[in-house]
Amino acid sequence: MDYDLPTGFDLIIVGTGVVESIISAAASRIGKRVLQVDTNNYYGGHWASFNLEDIQNLKQENNIDLGKQFPKNLSNEEDFIPLGNKLKCFPYFETEWHIAEEDSIDVLKIKQENLNGKENVVLDEGDKSKLDNDKKEHDDCADKEEDESVVQGEIEEAKEVEQNLNVSTQELLKKDYRKFVIDLCPKLHFARGNFVELLISSNIARYAEFRSVSRVLTWINGNIEVVPCSRSDVFANNKVSVVEKRMLMKLLTSIEEEEKSATVPQNTTFKDFLKNKKLSSNIIHFVLYALSMSNDETIWLEGMKRTKRFLGSLGRFGKTPFLFSMYGSGEITQAFCRLSAVFGGVFALNQQLHGIVLNKENRFESLKCGKQNITASHIVMSVGAAPVSFFKNPTSSLISRAVLITDKSLMDSEQEHMTLLLYPAGNKLITILELGHLTGTCPKNVFLIHITTEGSSNPKEDLEGCVKNLFAFGEQDSNPRKPKVLWSSYFSIPNTNELDLKSSVPSNVFLCPGPDLDLDYDFSLEKAREIFLSIYPDAEFLPRAPDADEIVIGEDPETATEVRASNSNLDISKDTEKSVEEERAIEQSSETELAIEARASCSELDTPSETDNTTKDALKEVEECAEAKENMQ
Amino acid sequence: MDEDILTTLKILIIGESGVGKSSILLRFIDDSFDPDQTLTIGVDFKTKRLCVEGNNVKLAIWDTAGQERFRTLTPSYYRDAQGAILVFDVSNHSTFSKLETWLNELDTYSTKSNIVKMIVANKIDKEKREVSREEAMNFARRHQTLYIEASAKTRDGVQAAFEELVHKIIQTPGLWESYGSNVQLGNKDHEKEPSSCSFCGLV
Repeated sequence: MDYDLPTGFDLIIVGTGVVESIISAAASRIGKRVLQVDTNNYYGGHWASFNLEDIQNLKQENNIDLGKQFPKNLSNEEDFIPLGNKLKCFPYFETEWHIAEEDSIDVLKIKQENLNGKENVVLDEGDKSKLDNDKKEHDDCADKEEDESVVQGEIEEAKEVEQNLNVSTQELLKKDYRKFVIDLCPKLHFARGNFVELLISSNIARYAEFRSVSRVLTWINGNIEVVPCSRSDVFANNKVSVVEKRMLMKLLTSIEEEEKSATVPQNTTFKDFLKNKKLSSNIIHFVLYALSMSNDETIWLEGMKRTKRFLGSLGRFGKTPFLFSMYGSGEITQAFCRLSAVFGGVFALNQQLHGIVLNKENRFESLKCGKQNITASHIVMSVGAAPVSFFKNPTSSLISRAVLITDKSLMDSEQEHMTLLLYPAGNKLITILELGHLTGTCPKNVFLIHITTEGSSNPKEDLEGCVKNLFAFGEQDSNPRKPKVLWSSYFSIPNTNELDLKSSVPSNVFLCPGPDLDLDYDFSLEKAREIFLSIYPDAEFLPRAPDADEIVIGEDPETATEVRASNSNLDISKDTEKSVEEERAIEQSSETELAIEARASCSELDTPSETDNTTKDALKEVEECAEAKENMQ
Repeated sequence: MDEDILTTLKILIIGESGVGKSSILLRFIDDSFDPDQTLTIGVDFKTKRLCVEGNNVKLAIWDTAGQERFRTLTPSYYRDAQGAILVFDVSNHSTFSKLETWLNELDTYSTKSNIVKMIVANKIDKEKREVSREEAMNFARRHQTLYIEASAKTRDGVQAAFEELVHKIIQTPGLWESYGSNVQLGNKDHEKEPSSCSFCGLV
């Protein structure tokens, strides 16, 4: 490092996971001096995202002893407690390729035949690489020549041909390794959940973009079926009989009254509750496993609560109640860290953390970081960084994860979907996310699958049945309908949300839980808020950040307001070749999604308080309008 | 009017701590200069309209928010940027030597392969100069970046730097076209939704 870290802080935060980063942003936001450090050289800890190369390196890193990040034999002059425990590791981690390293002769032959079969395109591998070289040379030139677009066009065509063959090799995927964003812990956001409300109210939403999940599927009777989310979905669904449609509508419209009037014992399961309603097994399945995301043991009140949460988030941003962060869930921690930095938070990654010094009253005094001794009034740390002595029982349950790269969607359709598939497996619910290239997490023509469930043995065994039912590996599975797995990774992450993180911990030290099994961040957000308010009981938690960007100093102050370029303004680009980005833009704009900005409406206001009110008013207005719309229908 | 805005461009400013990144930004945005400015706090990104060869563009210029000090800029900072300004201090050779690292960082994280890069030699008003124009220009040529000499203090070269960068971005096909409609969280809910009927809830 070129610089030493400053040493006197109000708050030190060890770790860059979601809970830590939210606290960091909240503390910096109210003017506290915050240092956030991480032993990793990347943001996010167990919440991080990696490209295809880095996630494979992670496997090796995980085998390295924690001693490298938390070296303990530092000094003998002072009494310090070493940091780090096994919750920082992945108890299980493996990655595997399921396709050939490079084109075999057979594959090349097929390609050749296909290429020759295509009219107008007579390119062999040699020509293509020549074109690639040409392209490079052109890129290298400071001034681009007009004929480049022609060359580019040919390359695009060549690529297209290659992709149409649907033959993937490791070589091909590795070439695109940076286009993969693989979340350790993928999360969705309920459109009207607390987390989305916080992103909007705190103005952190400006650091991230979102995509709505476009369909919810479920595994029922050995098949994948679409879960009807909206009224039109219900009526369009031909798997649900008219009688069932009526039953479903009745249940969903009367759920509030049901909850109040129901006279069932407290410990009745949601499943039994639904059965007592004399609903058909299809409907019970949809409501129990998909809408409420419950399992067979969920208590009915909890099931009702979850169903309401699902229904309550419908109709805001898309066809389903869920949003996903563009470019992966790792963006979320980075957004909070950015806000923290804008408000003066100091960040240092890749740090060696030796231990902490406690005073005689058993209160935290300083952190030993590298050669420095850094003091602060409070310290917050991720659960994996905490000293072993802070836990009564440092064992945790596990989250079993699988990540697959596949060659096609679980349920083919003309339009690319972002899919949530709910797969009940006995007493567990397995959640599966399928991401296409429009989410910014994988290249075109492949899909990224995230599978998550409660861990009981190792993730491979936990998920074996589900993976086998849905996907095919190599030549063994002849069912052509199933997506073929090109690459897979199985790992488990400690689930620390039920650990006792308080009783053996000094009063000015706070431990942040890691990832949990929930679909969303609500648990993490509540923990962050709780810790923040324990440290700063009278402070406001993430008040709206002012828009530094909104004051546009332009040549004409009258019209200096926020605008987004609309596609209609882009005629000037007509004669340029279609880049990947452009194609993507076109695909995206053809989708029915909402572009909404809180910022525009308050761009001409001066004081933050006015801004606040306007935003709130505008928000309210919009909500009312939406409600009115829903009622009308 | 707003309609004549061709596009919004995301521009990054990177480089070692203390080379004058925020000063260049503030000089360009409000034509101000604070000689006592120490560490950057509270500068997120600034926007400004610029007219280059008859094209109105809006620039969103992102500052590092101090995260470059310990080289902890987040990958998301680099996301979707069309242009990058790499700043060094001509009176401090080590800030020049570090440009190589910054270029690598840019290559690693930038999501647009043809992002336009410009090296800005700042603080040319200083008497003692450790990096010659020739040395810096050779470096820029080797790495195929634009190059300009500037002083945020005297105003020299600042406006020209941004104009030239924008000029080059607009000339680069496929780099700056509008990116389509993802969900941006905020308050203009619903209104733009053309087919809201399919979005209505069951309740």
